[in-house]
Amino acid sequence: MKKRNIPKLSFIKLSTVKKLHKWLSLFVFIQLFIWLGTGLFFNLMDHDKARGNQNKKAIVFQEVEHKRLLNLDLIMNNISKPVTEVALIQRLGKPYYLLTHEKGLYSHFKSDYSLVDAYVGDEFIIDDGVASKLAQASYKGKGEVSAVVKVKPPIKDMLKERNIAWQVNFSDNLNTSVYIDASSGRLIGHSNDDKRFVDLFFMLHFMDYPFLGKGSLGGFNNGQIIFFALLTLVFCLTGFIWVIELLRKGRYRLGS
Amino acid sequence: MLFVGVQLLVWSITGSYMVVMDIHYIHGDSLIATKKKIIDFDDVKYSLSQLMEDHSAAADVELGLLLNQTVYRFNNGDQNVMLSAYGGRQISPIDEKLAISIAQNMYTNNKAVVTRVQLITDNPPRELSGRHLPAWRIDFDDFASPSFYISANSGQLVTKRHSYWRIFDWMFAFHVMDYIDEEADNKLLLVFTFLAFIASICGLVLTYFRLMPQKNKRNRNLDDKLNKGIANEKA
Repeated sequence: MKKRNIPKLSFIKLSTVKKLHKWLSLFVFIQLFIWLGTGLFFNLMDHDKARGNQNKKAIVFQEVEHKRLLNLDLIMNNISKPVTEVALIQRLGKPYYLLTHEKGLYSHFKSDYSLVDAYVGDEFIIDDGVASKLAQASYKGKGEVSAVVKVKPPIKDMLKERNIAWQVNFSDNLNTSVYIDASSGRLIGHSNDDKRFVDLFFMLHFMDYPFLGKGSLGGFNNGQIIFFALLTLVFCLTGFIWVIELLRKGRYRLGS
Repeated sequence: MLFVGVQLLVWSITGSYMVVMDIHYIHGDSLIATKKKIIDFDDVKYSLSQLMEDHSAAADVELGLLLNQTVYRFNNGDQNVMLSAYGGRQISPIDEKLAISIAQNMYTNNKAVVTRVQLITDNPPRELSGRHLPAWRIDFDDFASPSFYISANSGQLVTKRHSYWRIFDWMFAFHVMDYIDEEADNKLLLVFTFLAFIASICGLVLTYFRLMPQKNKRNRNLDDKLNKGIANEKA
């Protein structure tokens, strides 16, 4: 009994399924090709080049003369903002106290720091000159510094970064840019034309189009991709049902 | 279509899941109670220079808080060490009780019951990076079964996971067709993407012919005219 009922029922549904599949194909085909094309690119690309770190080198650390270190309570007398953490760090081979006033869950989240010279006690401000030196200390390429610019988020090369940064540009054949956090002097990262090229593919894969919605956000939780992903899901489901139906009808026999 | 159909369906299911679920929620950011605690420098009796004298190999020294206690954290060779900033007494590695209090203090739901506590020293689970070892795993009996991982040496939260992260992880593995390392440069993915590309082009051709009735009609008319012409010639 059951077996006889199923084909009749599914036949009605199947025509709708087929119609839906055909019309959906018209809506999703461009993005589907973009997804497959960019997916193929991610599969074949040079993953080392994609990181944008061709001209990056490790920063050299110097020995700290701990006898010269100033006591923390001396320093705190001159600090008006509340402090949640203190770290003994190095910038350009010299020790500094990095005072945390505000810290996000991750380093790219909104934070607020200040730096104090650990030997002298003076506040250390990351200006364009310091930023340029910090960037050069992390750079092993042959280019010279061509520009130092203060950039506010959203930063095109570093879309996830939420802090103000110094962008130090180098005149090399990859157009390397080095980003330095403006309050802590931390090296945020390097970027170059190779990475920018890969970023373009991520933008396409994630539908993070600069001209849609809120612009590029550096993520894949935007409205347009949710809409197209769900359409594509229905498209694939209807196609799958269709294939199963063809399989049942024996249309996939070998040699036919 | 028979070969790549299943994978196309997998791509669309996993892709939909990943774009619909907010990535910050997946990361477990909403599980963390943000409490801004300020260091009271009167509690710091053990000075930094004293610390450097006692531990000459100390690097990356930090002064911070462990619950309400002011502590130093630093690397001593390849080991992380934590000392009390009040007297310089070593606190690390932390015990089970302290690990539980830290996890409960950080979790937004402070009424959640801890169901299981485990010290992991080797063979970390899929959801914990080996560089965080040794770590305490604290499981809560709450929505989406959250687990907090507290470093045994630093007493800091190193990882937080919940069911939706665990699902996301598998979704990503199936999306890139690498079920172990989750790298997108594997050969299996290459073959399937390539086949899917061919299948999609075929599909586009089909769409063109199925949804272009007017052109088909025009073709049919042309055919009809041609046939008529042939018939006339024959006559």
